Amino acid sequence: MPTVSISSRRWLAAERQLGAWLAAERGGTVAPFQREAWHAWRDGSSGLIHAPTGSGKTLAALGGPLIDALARDRRDRPGLSLLWITPLRALAADLAVQLAAPLRDLGVDWRLLRRTGDSGSGERARLRKGQVELLITTPESLELQLSHDDGAQRFANLATVVVDEWHELLGSKRGVLLELGLARLRRLAPGLRTWGLSATLGNLDEAMHALLGDTPDGRLVTTRRARRIEITTALPDAVERFAWAGHLGLSQLRRVVESASTARSVLVFTNTRSQAELWHEALAAVWPHAPETLAIHHGSLDRELRQRVEEELRTGAVRCVVATSSLDLGVDFASVEAVIQIGSPRGIARLLQRAGRSNHRPGEASRILCVPTHSLEIAEIAAARRALAAGAIEPRVPLRGGPDVLAQHLTTLALGGGFTADEAFAEVRTTLAYAELSRDSFDAVLAFLVHGGPALGAYPDYRKIIVTDGSYRIANARIARLHRYNVGTIVADGAVEVRYLRGARLGHVEEIFAARLKPGDRFLFAGRSLELVRVRDMTAWVRLAKGRRVAVPRWMGGRLALSNELGRWLQHTLADPSPREPEMRRLAPLLALQRERSALPDPDQLLVEIVRTRDGEHLFAFPFAGRLVHEGLGVLLAQRLSKLAPATLAFGANDYGVIVSSRELPALDADALRALLAPAGAREDLLDGIGAGELARRQFREIARIAGLVFGSQPGRDRSVRHLQAGTGLIYDVLARHDPSHLLLQQATDEVLERTFDLRRLEACLGELSTRAILLTRPSSLTPFAFPLWSEWIRGGLSSEDWETRVKRLAAELEQKAR
Amino acid sequence: MNALGAVIAGETVLLDARRAIAWPAMGWLLVADIHLGKASLLRQAGAALPRGTTTADLERLDALIATHSPRRLVVLGDLVHGAERLDAEWLATFGAWRDRNATLDATLVAGNHDRHMPLQRFGFEVVDELEAGPMMLRHAPDPHASRHVIAGHVHPGVVLRDGRLRHRLPAFWLGSRRSLLPAFGALSGLAPVDAADDDRVFAVTPGGVLALGVRALGPPRAKT
Repeated sequence: MPTVSISSRRWLAAERQLGAWLAAERGGTVAPFQREAWHAWRDGSSGLIHAPTGSGKTLAALGGPLIDALARDRRDRPGLSLLWITPLRALAADLAVQLAAPLRDLGVDWRLLRRTGDSGSGERARLRKGQVELLITTPESLELQLSHDDGAQRFANLATVVVDEWHELLGSKRGVLLELGLARLRRLAPGLRTWGLSATLGNLDEAMHALLGDTPDGRLVTTRRARRIEITTALPDAVERFAWAGHLGLSQLRRVVESASTARSVLVFTNTRSQAELWHEALAAVWPHAPETLAIHHGSLDRELRQRVEEELRTGAVRCVVATSSLDLGVDFASVEAVIQIGSPRGIARLLQRAGRSNHRPGEASRILCVPTHSLEIAEIAAARRALAAGAIEPRVPLRGGPDVLAQHLTTLALGGGFTADEAFAEVRTTLAYAELSRDSFDAVLAFLVHGGPALGAYPDYRKIIVTDGSYRIANARIARLHRYNVGTIVADGAVEVRYLRGARLGHVEEIFAARLKPGDRFLFAGRSLELVRVRDMTAWVRLAKGRRVAVPRWMGGRLALSNELGRWLQHTLADPSPREPEMRRLAPLLALQRERSALPDPDQLLVEIVRTRDGEHLFAFPFAGRLVHEGLGVLLAQRLSKLAPATLAFGANDYGVIVSSRELPALDADALRALLAPAGAREDLLDGIGAGELARRQFREIARIAGLVFGSQPGRDRSVRHLQAGTGLIYDVLARHDPSHLLLQQATDEVLERTFDLRRLEACLGELSTRAILLTRPSSLTPFAFPLWSEWIRGGLSSEDWETRVKRLAAELEQKAR
Repeated sequence: MNALGAVIAGETVLLDARRAIAWPAMGWLLVADIHLGKASLLRQAGAALPRGTTTADLERLDALIATHSPRRLVVLGDLVHGAERLDAEWLATFGAWRDRNATLDATLVAGNHDRHMPLQRFGFEVVDELEAGPMMLRHAPDPHASRHVIAGHVHPGVVLRDGRLRHRLPAFWLGSRRSLLPAFGALSGLAPVDAADDDRVFAVTPGGVLALGVRALGPPRAKT
């Protein structure tokens, strides 16, 4: 329903009321960006608000609808007017408190509902009868709302939808699903204003486009003033010129404890969950305060445990939390005094986000102490400081929509009142994710939903969506129920729940880790040393252990890759170190040795080193493009080298470069290297090189779940689903044999390259490398740049003890030679 | 070809990579857990699986019959997957298969899934369990006081590592008191084998039946 316009005088009076409330409650004035957002809302605009955490983004987005309600009759209860979408369920409770305060204080009589699953029948009735004005929900829960056939009625009066933390959803399938959901909402509620809240991104216009779809004239609202950030590096006394990963930076433990124990409250960020466990353990051993004031927080811990830690941090019961990106988001911790980052943040945006968790007072600088875990990370920190000073930041590229998410959304639409093909096609194309979708591709997804596949009759008895008089509807109630269970794009890996014998839940570890443990084994988890009693039905039953742990869980995908942007700044920083940077002063001996042994490349050069050691001949290349891209390069180089001369080749990668090794490499000069790195044919060579079939079979798991080709388990909810389960691997095999051109198999192959190597970035990197000059050196022994790559590579074939001994010995030898 | 000899309770049998046990002395062919009609039920519930899985399973059964020329086929339960509409396509396919093999004696040791269908109409003798020599053939592997139990129901499987890849494969799992067949149906899931020290485990690989040491199965210990 279009908003009936109200006089500007009444609006201004209401706006002043909100301003007065802000002054009284928060002791501040209305920020210009807040007023800009309110006025843009009044003009009927949609847009994206981008401002640092803690600067009042929430009120910027709430202001418009709130002032409007104030300017009307504040006892008005118009039914659902404002929908607030948050990516994290854990944030919903906090948001509800934040949003309710001004409504209550200003006497706006709105009814608020928080809904993060499917709505129960009572809540459904409240929504249907229009007894809720403000609904706080998640993207998945919105999709469930849309699956009810009274959507048109429910959302008819919706004036505003706000998407919180939009940058977190962008670039993921969740974001794609939400784009589709928003397109639907705009159909159900013409005139709907869409507003997003985002952290800083390098591509805000594109991010806004993805959020608004085809809504014209989006408004980008930003704060003019950037927050000041002070970065300090905990520099080791001496820099190892031959460094290897595997250190944790624990040599800086004393420094971290000093810094952490003097602040009233501190967050210690690590890059992986395992690292968080280890640092928590180390800190606990020397923590000078009461043990319960030190806590741990990461994504594999049970939700209740995490919430308790968040609450205790707020109240001050906990002084220090060791956390992963699980605490990057949301929850306002006004009280956090200091932030410590263990290891390089790997990206400019991440550093900004984490530093921004400290001192949430506008105008004050955010401070962060960075603790490098190996020598080259010291340079990354200096590079990040330079990048921030220049205002550089990573973009987050929106994902192009695939058939799986579209299939799921169309099933939702078929359930929520039905659709016609032409209308749905037009609606879907208003999203950025599917703006380039062809009618043929759309029809192929429809055929998949209606017939099972393109060949009529190849799927006897198949039923999902039926067409009557051009209207697509769900076939029956059971399929509707199964679909609702499976809404969403988050596909959990085989996770084993960790529980005390007495029943309390601690969180999850990966199946493969649990499988390696035997009863009686001790391991570190949730900041506790635990003893495994038994594993049964995907639950690891544990008790507190006496004595030290022997194992630490590792989680897949835990490793963050260096961002392109930070990589570029790192190259500049290494090529042109400034004596004013304490980090680069400390690194001077390492850089001098690198220059002496080989070279320090300029940013427009690609350094390639060919070195012979006792283990064979190694080719090192240093594009500084991040680990994922380098792994792709490794596959590509190995594949192409083996075409030159058949040989057993091995490769490895880190954030700075790639190593390819063999007993004997073919003779290579700069031209030969250029041919090996040629962008043309990279996709095909990669597919040949990785055994794409087996990887695609694995990637298929997620796609099959999202597209509704298999049914996830619903423990304790519905036993009738059990006999309908079949492994996605088996289904992949069946499709590959009986319908090999299936659209979801194709998608699986595409996604393997995208996920495994970040294909788009890899192709961009190859294009960029082809413009650089190749600087080929043949050092007589390993250089400081090459050493970490070599040590990681050699790790593959050795037990961890042998590895450490060997790497340490060689590091000592090289150090000796370098004197 | 593709079969490995093994001795169970003193009887020589062949473990066939097409997921069956041939018992030459009796002229019997044993399979378990075919789960006919599973794809059809999945399709009716909205999961788009292409046709052809029933035909492929039955072709594999034909090939086994051609190799071993058994007098009797014994299905150790779960011949069918669930309640089915009587006009489902696979029923006709299965009926035609039975007509082609009309001279073959067929026994079904009924499993938990088989209660849904009157299987006598396909010319199957339906029994709860079957004694044969030193063996007791059952669907579920409940132990027997004096006989060696041969059973299905469990769908045993193993995980083999190959570099960075992990392959999940069906398996024969032979113990001192009872032996288990892999599930015959191509759409059947797998349950991990939890082998005792004197058990013998054989993985069904594309290249044939592969004997595994029990040690190879025990998940590798965590590095210390």
